Amino acid sequence: MAGTVAHDDHAHDAHEHHDHKMSFLDRWFFSTNHKDIGTLYLIFAIIAGIIGGALSVAMRAELQEPGIQIFHGLASMVYGFEGDAAIDGGKHMFNVFTTAHALIMIFFMVMPALIGGFANWMIPIMIGAPDMAFPRLNNISFWLIVPAFLLLLLSMFVEGPAGAYGVGGGWTMYPPLATSGQPGPAVDLAIFALHVSGASSILGAINFITTILNMRAPGMTLHKMPLFAWAVLVTAFLLLLSLPVLAGGITMLLTDRNFGTTFFAPEGGGDPILYQHLFWFFGHPEVYILILPGFGIISHIVSTFSKKPVFGYLGMAYAMVAIGAVGFVVWAHHMYTVGLSLAAQRYFLFATMVIAVPTGIKIFSWVATMWGGSLTFRTPMVWAIGFIFLFTVGGVTGVQLANAGLDRSLHDTYYVVAHFHYVLSLGAVFAIFAAWYYWFPKMSGYMYSEFIGKLHFWVMFIGVNMVFFPQHFLGLAGMPRRYIDYPDAFAGWNYVSSIGSYISGVGVLIFLFGVFEAFAKKRVAGDNPWGEGATTLEWQLSSPPPYHQWEQLPRIK
Amino acid sequence: MAEAHQKHHDYHIIAPSPWPITASIGAFLMTFGGVGYMRYLNGGSFKLFGLELAHPWLFFIGLAVVLYTMIGWWADTIKEAHEGAHTRVVSLHLRYGMIMFIASEVMFFVAWFWAFFDASLFPHEAIQASRVEFTGGQWPPKGIEVLDPWHLPIYNTVILLLSGTCVTWAHHALLHGDRKGLVNGLALTVVLGLLFSFVQGYEYAHAPFAFKDSIYGSTFFMATGFHGFHVIVGTIFLTVCLLRAAKGDFTPKQHFGFEAAAWYWHFVDVVWLFLFFSIYIWGGWGAPLAG
Amino acid sequence: DQPQPWQSTLQPAATPIMEQIRWFEQYTLWFIVPITLFVLALLIYVAIRFRASANPVPSKTSHNSVIEVVWTVGPVLILLFFAIPSFNLLTAQLTQPENPDLTLKATATQWQWNYEYQGDKELAFDSYLLKEEDRSAAGKEDKSIYPRLLAVDNEMVIPVNKTVRLLVTAAPTDVIHSFAMPSFGVKIDAVPGRLNETWFKAEREGLFYGQCSELCGKDHAFMPIAIRVVSEEKYTAWLDAAGSDLEGANKALMAAVDGGDKAVQLAENVSN
Ligand code: HEA
Ligand code: HEA
Ligand code: CUA
Ligand SMILES: [Cu+2]
Repeated sequence: MAGTVAHDDHAHDAHEHHDHKMSFLDRWFFSTNHKDIGTLYLIFAIIAGIIGGALSVAMRAELQEPGIQIFHGLASMVYGFEGDAAIDGGKHMFNVFTTAHALIMIFFMVMPALIGGFANWMIPIMIGAPDMAFPRLNNISFWLIVPAFLLLLLSMFVEGPAGAYGVGGGWTMYPPLATSGQPGPAVDLAIFALHVSGASSILGAINFITTILNMRAPGMTLHKMPLFAWAVLVTAFLLLLSLPVLAGGITMLLTDRNFGTTFFAPEGGGDPILYQHLFWFFGHPEVYILILPGFGIISHIVSTFSKKPVFGYLGMAYAMVAIGAVGFVVWAHHMYTVGLSLAAQRYFLFATMVIAVPTGIKIFSWVATMWGGSLTFRTPMVWAIGFIFLFTVGGVTGVQLANAGLDRSLHDTYYVVAHFHYVLSLGAVFAIFAAWYYWFPKMSGYMYSEFIGKLHFWVMFIGVNMVFFPQHFLGLAGMPRRYIDYPDAFAGWNYVSSIGSYISGVGVLIFLFGVFEAFAKKRVAGDNPWGEGATTLEWQLSSPPPYHQWEQLPRIK
Repeated sequence: MAEAHQKHHDYHIIAPSPWPITASIGAFLMTFGGVGYMRYLNGGSFKLFGLELAHPWLFFIGLAVVLYTMIGWWADTIKEAHEGAHTRVVSLHLRYGMIMFIASEVMFFVAWFWAFFDASLFPHEAIQASRVEFTGGQWPPKGIEVLDPWHLPIYNTVILLLSGTCVTWAHHALLHGDRKGLVNGLALTVVLGLLFSFVQGYEYAHAPFAFKDSIYGSTFFMATGFHGFHVIVGTIFLTVCLLRAAKGDFTPKQHFGFEAAAWYWHFVDVVWLFLFFSIYIWGGWGAPLAG
Repeated sequence: DQPQPWQSTLQPAATPIMEQIRWFEQYTLWFIVPITLFVLALLIYVAIRFRASANPVPSKTSHNSVIEVVWTVGPVLILLFFAIPSFNLLTAQLTQPENPDLTLKATATQWQWNYEYQGDKELAFDSYLLKEEDRSAAGKEDKSIYPRLLAVDNEMVIPVNKTVRLLVTAAPTDVIHSFAMPSFGVKIDAVPGRLNETWFKAEREGLFYGQCSELCGKDHAFMPIAIRVVSEEKYTAWLDAAGSDLEGANKALMAAVDGGDKAVQLAENVSN
């Protein structure tokens, strides 16, 4: 970890020196400042999270009881369908919601929050750099994600399958359902949304890699670099190397749709399964892209509130490198039922399980960091502990799924839905909230309310567990995913799950209120509200930090 | 920006810039308009809120905005270089950035090669009933006439390799302060690049198979077409360098713009070799030749 | 078989493979539940033992090679314990039997299944979701036997204790579907242009339900799969009759099965 800093920095006097002369347009639209861009990203992520969350609550409301409850009504409200057409339109609309929910949560909430938001804000500060390596490129990364989101949202109002609106192919967009199955332009819009957001992420990845490799403060060797920087470095490599393959795959989807190519069309010698390989070659690294920054954040929080350095720093760093590397060679565990050969399934089974080992190192090292520490349970710490436990729950069910023989029964059931929400909605999202409370005082200069923060935690904790734990049971009992309606036997757990989602919704409202409250009350946070445990560089700056920090580079001993 | 007080480092703190957001607007118009354009081309409809948008013009407006942005952005970058903003560490950033960018491009090509090998290595996998029927269990698929690799493609290989040596010649000239050599080398590179594109275009126009309706044509044109697009981009990049060189830009010490173009050109070169060996030679082996 | 209200486990097995899957699932639980509880217990322990008020002065330990090796090697060993039975299960699933007693082909289309019996007696028919208005005509009023969204008009009928080879595909210009039968431990994608293959051997009679398990468009939730496993005599009788009159054959079979229900149950009780 970063050691102590020689205090030759005059952070405080630089405070808010320039921004007052800057026009609103210059500051928020033409920005080349990593902190402002990070702020834009965070606002964007919150908006996307609210939209994505609203979609999921609508889905849960539909699934609360057997039968079709609300989507025929929604379809006639939004698209003006009547009678039977409303039922059919509603059935498709449910799939549109599932698709949009997933794409929004992954590409427009978690990634912008963790990478665009927190990493942008904190990485330059933590490694002792004045800004990102390519400040202008940084801003284009943000501004590309806006049209990408717009394209996705607009796709919901454009024809997908004949006579219905939007993309209902799932976030994986498998052909032929995404080609001949939905010939309308909605799918093209969604494909372009992914292209544009992919370009944004690739440029962001280039920026982070260059920044982290090249702009560390004098004396900060890679092995002294904060773990969050390690996490983002690995994440950026995963983005850089996996996204272009997705881009290639969806480009072929696009040409199959519009130019008559037959990459995925068997009648022309193509192969629908090829798309799945290309997608998951990206898709699996993607799930680590979503979680690794969280891993980095949790390490800092646990260390801060234990008043101890991270246990096994090198092991922690290289565990992430290992997860990233192995993550590239396990993709087909999402494809056990497509008809892979025995040899292929054996290989992917084994390779996938290997990832449990470095992940275990991380879990146990976090516990060991707390061991012997002097623990205070401020809000970020509570979220972090929640993360460690819930991520473990999601991780071990992942290991079950890795076993192809068992996945035969669980694939495409709610068991998988439960697994990935435990690592995403209870993993990545918990890390986001942990980071939010941890750095909010630094970013805004104001202290959040400890009471609201903890209330937010408990309501969310109860809510999301209630949503997703019963889904394990549904999955075991055989309930397939992406179903608008289910046999009556599944009613019980679905009801519980839906109630849970309303509670999570309340949790999100509490979060929003907490943000409002903190800005309204303006409690001054101080430069380092967390005390001696907080050792990384950001805590040596003022809160909020000066517009340009480290004009005198810090020196790491 | 930093006039108010001193920065004590060599990093480049960039002033606010309009280009990212204009690029964003351009990207939106280009993609959204692109959907309309594609619909227009195949006679479909693209209705949003009752508005028929199956037209080409939005796409071209977007393209214009993107091109304008690129010109403005790079002009700014060049200006900053002249102002001395590209200190040693900043040009190191640019190098890293370019390497990463090329790495991501390599992964892009991996996708095309994956598609190609998926089809060409397994044309006879029994469970893929429709594919076997289509290919006749062989690669190239039955009924496909291929291009003779030892005809235009090998000429093109030579042209591209030659252009690669020309750009290296230009680089050496630049390092030795020989501006005439630099300009000549670059000019020759550009001419060879144009020649390559021309030959490729000629070959496309006379290809005995189409982009549509067969996996052979699909993989062939996607891979070589994407490569061709890179050749064109590289040629433009080199042309810009040529103009700058003629204007007296670039010094033996500082010429990253040139180096980036050269790297890119070599990358395009190497990809071509892979394409040539796997798609033209190996992938066409044993099939009847066109013409 | 069909799912039960509040069910929280895998469906009961009707084939040896599912038997093995169920065993393996339980077996993995014996590892992952303790691991999870162990992590939870550790968290609770450190939270109490090392809270600031109980431990005001933090230690400075940040390395301990022994413990790091332990928590690397430990999981490796556990994973080996997973891998061995897992490989066995996988191999058993994917090893096609040499001489199947019967070969069937299931073809999916948006949104129904078509079953084709390949053998001396050729037979093919479509299987749709049972419409509510057709219940009484089909004699399928009893929702406990013919549940909503699971019941179909024409079930696939197979003989008990016979090895069935199943070919699965989708219509050439259709989309991907997936043939899933939970109590058989079978799930295999129906991909256009691709002829996938699996097998099962049902060891008990009954009516078994599954559902399409790959997103295939708006009626993905409405293309169930139903398999009726009957004794060999009943199967032969049904097959003989079905060629000319499928509906009649189905009705006759239903009458025979529902009439013989008690006898079957009795036999099961005795053998238990
Ligand atoms: C943040 C995202 C994230 C993360 C981190 C993971 C982590 C893992 N995932 Fe998950 N996964 C998803 C997101 C994620 N996944 C998504 C979104 C899908 C569905 C996509 C779709 O179809 O739409 C999916 C689906 C999915 C499948 C396919 C299921 C199917 O469709 O049939 C599989 C199968 O192997 C799998 C496995 C794993 C494994 C083995 C891990 C491992 O990395 C987990 C490792 C962690 C632990 C094991 C816990 C901690 C370790 C210890 C305490 C040590 C001791 C433990 C042991 C020895 C077991 N995942
Ligand atoms: C990160 C990813 C993520 C997140 C957070 C969630 C969150 C939730 N998801 Fe989602 N979900 C997916 C990813 C995610 N999901 C994916 C990939 C699929 C598969 C789609 C497919 O099949 O194609 C899926 C599918 C899916 C299904 C299955 C649908 C089907 O198969 O038909 C269901 C059903 O219950 C569901 C419900 C929910 C609910 C109730 C939540 C609740 O937890 C929601 C509560 C809201 C939040 C937790 C967000 C709050 C966050 C913010 C407000 C932003 C904060 C930002 C900052 C602080 C900067 N989801
Ligand atoms: Cu057919 Cu889902
Ligand atoms: Cu995965």
